[in-house]
Amino acid sequence: MSGALKEVRDRIVSVKNTQQITNAMKMVSAAKLRRAQQAIVQMRPYADRLNRMLENILSNLDGGADTSFGVERPVEKVLIVVVTSNRGLAGAFNTNINKEALRLIDEKYQKHHENGNLTLLCIGKKGYDFFRKKYSDINLIEDHVLAFNDLSFDSIGTISQHIMDEYEAQNYDRVHVAYGKFKNAAVQFSQMVQFLPVVQKKPKVSEAEKQRRADYIFEPDKETILNELVPSILQTSFHKFLLDTHASEHGARMTAMDKATENAEDLIKELKINYNKARQAAITNEISEIVGGAAALEG
Amino acid sequence: MNLLVLTPEKELFNGTIKAVKVPGTTGEFEIRENHASIVSSLRKGPVKITNSSGQVETIPIKKGFIEVINNEVSILVQAEEAAE
Repeated sequence: MSGALKEVRDRIVSVKNTQQITNAMKMVSAAKLRRAQQAIVQMRPYADRLNRMLENILSNLDGGADTSFGVERPVEKVLIVVVTSNRGLAGAFNTNINKEALRLIDEKYQKHHENGNLTLLCIGKKGYDFFRKKYSDINLIEDHVLAFNDLSFDSIGTISQHIMDEYEAQNYDRVHVAYGKFKNAAVQFSQMVQFLPVVQKKPKVSEAEKQRRADYIFEPDKETILNELVPSILQTSFHKFLLDTHASEHGARMTAMDKATENAEDLIKELKINYNKARQAAITNEISEIVGGAAALEG
Repeated sequence: MNLLVLTPEKELFNGTIKAVKVPGTTGEFEIRENHASIVSSLRKGPVKITNSSGQVETIPIKKGFIEVINNEVSILVQAEEAAE
């Protein structure tokens, strides 16, 4: 009987330890999430103003605003960038991003896959491990798996620059990015977007606005600025993919760990009831033994 | 006039200034009060800000863009990290 008691006691201790760990992980993720969110917020004004400049220029250009990044080519070679986190224990977060990538491959690029014209660039260990193990026939670029170690604009900028160079050299005809879009601490979802060629949005400009904008001086000229502006905007949006994923990872882990801590609490409650029942049973047993013994002596 | 200098990571300058000199792609130029609206790309070099009390502050940049509308100057740059 005391064996069962000890077992329950040990389990309570072990669950408590686990709970402490999950709770600590939750706290750590909460702190990291705050910092990751800040990085996103800080980049917003920069990105907004870049886009405003682009709109200014586009509305001043007569005719098409074709940079080499906007040209639709027949899609022969495809690159998919899979942005996941380095660590797990974040619920279904990484799985969802990988699934998103797989779905796109299944739906649109089955042929490219078979012909070896599909390449995956993995950022983050989780996606890399997944595709290396299960889809070893896909070309994998592994140079940037650990990009999350340095989230500075410079370091991420070289990755996106590299992708743009390859695109211009026609080594890829289309580039997609699968990443974790960050909405808020509780809501993140996996998303797939087309990175290159740029999906053109026609800016809506009123006549009055056009009048005002016509006064702009462009130095050296619109085309040159555009050719420099577009890569900068692309770099910025690529950077945002990584920042978003980073924040989402911590948001997802926070939620997952919060659930785990709650579960542990429930488990402890249940085990405690079991423990008390077992203890009570043991005591009752002992008493009845003593009473039984005394009765035998008297008789 | 107001100047805002932004990098993707942070705000480097925000305030009232007298003048700012920037390294334009085709040559250095200075923006003063009531400058015409302009958009220009910038190359590597120093951005020299003369603040309202006449002191000069220098921010080295790698590349970037400047936009001026109605005495609102925005400079979007990638800052030269090493020089900070």
